Amino acid sequence: MKHHRTGAAVIAAVTTLALAACGGGGGQNSSSGGGGFTAEPAEGGTVQVLQNADFSYLDPARGWDGGVNNFYRLVYRQLTTSAPGSAEDPNEIVPDLAESLGEVSEDGLTWTYRLKDGLKFAGGDPITSAEVKFGISRAWDPEIGIGSPYLKQVIDAPEGYEGPYKTGDLPTIETPDDKTIVFHLIKPFPEFDAVLAQVNATPFPEGSGAGDEFIHEIIASGPYKLAEYVPGSTIKLERNESWDPETDEVRAAKPDGWEFTIGLDPATIDERLIAGQGADVNAIAGNIQPATLPRLQTPQLQDRVLEFPGICTTYMGLNTTKKHLDDVRVRQAISYAIDRTTIVNASGGTQLGDPATTILPPTVAGHKDFDLYPSQDGTGDVEAAQKLLDEAGLSDGFTMTLDIRSQESMQAQAEAVQQALERVGITVELNLIDTSTYYETIGTPSQQNDAAITGWCPDWASSAATFIPPLFDGRNIYEKGNGNLAQINDPEINSRIDEIKAMTDIDAANEQWGELDEQILELAPVVPLMVAKGVMLPGENVTGLFSSANAATGGIDYVAVGLKDPEKG
Amino acid sequence: MPRFLLTRIMSGLMVLLLVCLFTYLVFFALSPDPAVQICGKSCTPELIDQIRGNLGLDQPFWTQFFLFVVGIFAGRTYGDGAGAVDCAAPCLGYSFQSSQAVWDMIVQRLPVSATVAVGAAVLWLLAGLAGGLLSAVKEGSFLDRFTTGLTLTSMSIPNYVLALVLQYVLVVQLQWLPFPQAVAFADDPVQWFLNFVMPWMVLAIGYAAAYTRLTRANVLDVLRENYVRTAAAKGLPQSLVWRRHALRPALTPIVTIFGMDFAGLLGGALITETVFGINGVGKMAADSIARNDQPVIMGVTLLAGFLVVVGNLVVDVVYTAIDPRVRVNA
Amino acid sequence: MTSSPTDLTAARAVGSGTGDTAEAPAASAAGALPAGAGGTWQALRHDVGAMLGLGYIVLVTLVAIFAPVLTSISGWTPYEFDQTAIDPDLGGMPIGPWGGMGAEHWFGVEPGSGRDIFARIVYGARVSMSIALSATLLTTVLGVSLGLLAGYFGGRVDVVISRVMDFLMAFPALIFMIAVLSALPASNRSALLVVVISAFGWPYLARIVRGQTMSLAQREFVEAARAAGASGTRIVFREILPNLRSTIIVMSTLAVPGYIGTEAGLSFLGVGVVPPAPSWGQMIAASVKWYAVDPAYFVVPGVCLFLLVLSFTVLGDRLRAVVDAQEGR
Repeated sequence: MKHHRTGAAVIAAVTTLALAACGGGGGQNSSSGGGGFTAEPAEGGTVQVLQNADFSYLDPARGWDGGVNNFYRLVYRQLTTSAPGSAEDPNEIVPDLAESLGEVSEDGLTWTYRLKDGLKFAGGDPITSAEVKFGISRAWDPEIGIGSPYLKQVIDAPEGYEGPYKTGDLPTIETPDDKTIVFHLIKPFPEFDAVLAQVNATPFPEGSGAGDEFIHEIIASGPYKLAEYVPGSTIKLERNESWDPETDEVRAAKPDGWEFTIGLDPATIDERLIAGQGADVNAIAGNIQPATLPRLQTPQLQDRVLEFPGICTTYMGLNTTKKHLDDVRVRQAISYAIDRTTIVNASGGTQLGDPATTILPPTVAGHKDFDLYPSQDGTGDVEAAQKLLDEAGLSDGFTMTLDIRSQESMQAQAEAVQQALERVGITVELNLIDTSTYYETIGTPSQQNDAAITGWCPDWASSAATFIPPLFDGRNIYEKGNGNLAQINDPEINSRIDEIKAMTDIDAANEQWGELDEQILELAPVVPLMVAKGVMLPGENVTGLFSSANAATGGIDYVAVGLKDPEKG
Repeated sequence: MPRFLLTRIMSGLMVLLLVCLFTYLVFFALSPDPAVQICGKSCTPELIDQIRGNLGLDQPFWTQFFLFVVGIFAGRTYGDGAGAVDCAAPCLGYSFQSSQAVWDMIVQRLPVSATVAVGAAVLWLLAGLAGGLLSAVKEGSFLDRFTTGLTLTSMSIPNYVLALVLQYVLVVQLQWLPFPQAVAFADDPVQWFLNFVMPWMVLAIGYAAAYTRLTRANVLDVLRENYVRTAAAKGLPQSLVWRRHALRPALTPIVTIFGMDFAGLLGGALITETVFGINGVGKMAADSIARNDQPVIMGVTLLAGFLVVVGNLVVDVVYTAIDPRVRVNA
Repeated sequence: MTSSPTDLTAARAVGSGTGDTAEAPAASAAGALPAGAGGTWQALRHDVGAMLGLGYIVLVTLVAIFAPVLTSISGWTPYEFDQTAIDPDLGGMPIGPWGGMGAEHWFGVEPGSGRDIFARIVYGARVSMSIALSATLLTTVLGVSLGLLAGYFGGRVDVVISRVMDFLMAFPALIFMIAVLSALPASNRSALLVVVISAFGWPYLARIVRGQTMSLAQREFVEAARAAGASGTRIVFREILPNLRSTIIVMSTLAVPGYIGTEAGLSFLGVGVVPPAPSWGQMIAASVKWYAVDPAYFVVPGVCLFLLVLSFTVLGDRLRAVVDAQEGR
């Protein structure tokens, strides 16, 4: 999920599984451990999850961030979903409640799905096409549907439709019988299966979930249901007996229950994982802190270290509407002068991050490997930068303001940028913005300064369609909630985006996205800085640990997780 | 007495209203548009207007403030028609982040904060009184000087540093205590107790040092008073002089200060709860500040103000009971 | 005193450095402390604790003043990265024992960036001291003037000021400080810190000044001045204020450690000074995560801060003892 949502999501991203575990994807677990991570889990037991931030919402129409999406996967199902982390291609979108992926009409506007047999909510009520439709229509409610925007953007709906509680039935989704559901799109969207895999496409019993009903409650369609919920402290899940494993090829769901302990200090989480006392042998958590890395050097702990590649790019957006930065030579000079080694080191060193020279990280489909502004060891090419600045008539440099979030690792990155650019006479002033308002501020062009450090993750990693367009489509520069931080509006880029988006061959499209990545960086509207990797320390009794880019934003996909010995802990 | 109490209650209410107004004003002026914040990513200007309308944010400041105050006493309804939500009194509004009722959030966490406060208070009262009395009795001795040094030292250690050091020593290195786990008292009383040992200690140490100094100073002051000297000169046994003439007057001011300190802590020990991950009011406050969750910050601020005002009131009543002079003056 | 019962509790007991509720520290310095600061220095000079404390305070002040000189000798500025001093494969941990201490980096380096800790301590002293001292100054000015006003003029002035004090003291200051600081733009954080800390700190001093002013106003010399036709302002500033001198000095000295602690605490909670400027509180906040693997990183600013707070506390404490003794208690 984008790092871009409301404050809650963003904060969750700072410390929990969400962004911290912005690593992974691809399922190629480059773990240094002895294969203990991917063994088939035994049936039973309770998995412990230790985390700092609370989940944003139990209601999937409201919540939409890396941490909570993964949690939703345990209790909710959709027509389609992403393959389990253990699958050959975990980025693939596969059928879930539906028997198969959608059947699309000739014009690409009508998509038809058929539900499997034996689908039930917790408590035994059947899940039919009516419930699926009802759940999806909740996305249009102005107060409730604040999560993923894709359903609303792609599915056709009458003008002024405001969800089932305010307006009523959504006539543009047809349910000819209990098993069949037909969607009509605004315009063709070849990746519509991925849209229905979004968490807010979860079915709910008709009429349920009005007002604040789902603030404390879950009507489960997945393998677990809510047993206990203490906001800010604990969430306990127990088995949903109405869930039929026969209908679900995605969720192994071996443990009998899950226990999420929330509000723990990140350092405490690491201490507990290292100590591994009692039930903590069954614990998993997000990324460990950089300060914990040196403590993992003992052979016992080394064996337990789980590493996932990253799927999110941390980058610095250069506001192309500002003085000096409107000159492509200046932006290129900055791209040359950046020292990615210091940035990676400031963010926890080589174990926690890789320098990035492209917008698309290697784990996202379409990634093309290139470095337009190369330098020795990635420490920056000061001479090339200076030369470009001379050409631009800025030999003595200039002063620019960098917006940063008041959060430790981002401050460290900003300080590294500051040091690197000082070498070519560019004075960087740091503008510290409170975490809760950071994305709102930099997403408002009138309040945006010269540059900002932020990050981006794909909403689904099977294509680059959710990576390039939001950041570089010049027609998407909004007064508020703007994602195109560079405010670049280049006709060539825009038309390339349209062309690639219209391609129905997704593999061919992905290749084109990679080319476009390079084409964009020639204009240097952003400077890719690094891709944060995941380093985790799961309890010794936990297994079935696979990363999922789609379901867990690169973190551990919960649905495959289980215990080696359910009696332990 | 009732008249005096009435005056105090009235002025307490005044203070609370001021706290309320001031907080509301500051957040009204400072905080970014909450509607934009709630609206999230897929936001449109119409949606923002609608949210503003539902929350009453389109009203002028004084109307909003009035509705807020009325909501506390009489409850209020947000929005209208099918989407309306009733918020029963005492209504402090809904969290912008999780949509939970602020009052429920507080009620849920208050017992936790109270547990932290009560345990710490017991510890610091015991340590502070004992330490203070001992050093007063042995004034000038090595023990006295040692206690003084110890209190000055412990007052100088920031409690977040102390918390982390304690956790490292007691839990990680010595393994005398387990890592805090979220358990209810009924499920596992021992684990529950062990969970709170560290927070209690961390919170208590600073106060214990202060109370030691206060007790010592008060006792020494009283012992120098003429009536105590007279009593001793009359040949009363020392223990009796102490109990009857020295302790009571020396400890009365401590009752007062204790009342206020304790009331202040009931509303949440922000740093301690945050460092130890205790799901109390203090941590909730810290979290909601980080998320700019204005209604929750308002709620906690009001609660804390309320507790201090009530604490003051209780102290006044207790004080009139133990020190009749006050009654005359009032 | 015609005060209400709560006034009998001269001040709250706990300093902000240790307590969870940020408030100015103030011991129970109730009762009048009349003039007589003449021999204070003489008495204090023979107190080892007070002199050690004073010595450390002077040292830190000198270090803060001469920070650029010191860093030019040590060779590193507080902002310079030294990638050779850290291990990129171990989370950016400093290379070498004791957090990389040695001839190159006297106090070691910061993990992740390799910045010189000595330089950051030295410059951090500037920030920490200037914030704490400015806050003390502002608090003292506010506390003394409002306390004098309320105590001398009484009546409506007193009622208004006392209500404001009640209000501020009932206010959950720490929560509010964090909320306000995080909501306001961070560009001039240091000034904001001073204002916010002082805004909640002055009532604790004002309360005591008010009480003493009230009793001083009844004394013969004030009556005499009044009878001689002196104006109110003149009496307040010429007659009463000098008599409050020792109280003010003692209270202010005791307030400094509280403010140092508050600044450190707020920095710890992430609303302190703006990076890359170092402050001791910010350094501690950054180092706590590393305490297990790089204790030196944690110990250096921790000890510096602890000693500074302790020095002010001891000095204030001894000062008060001396003043008390002089006044014959």
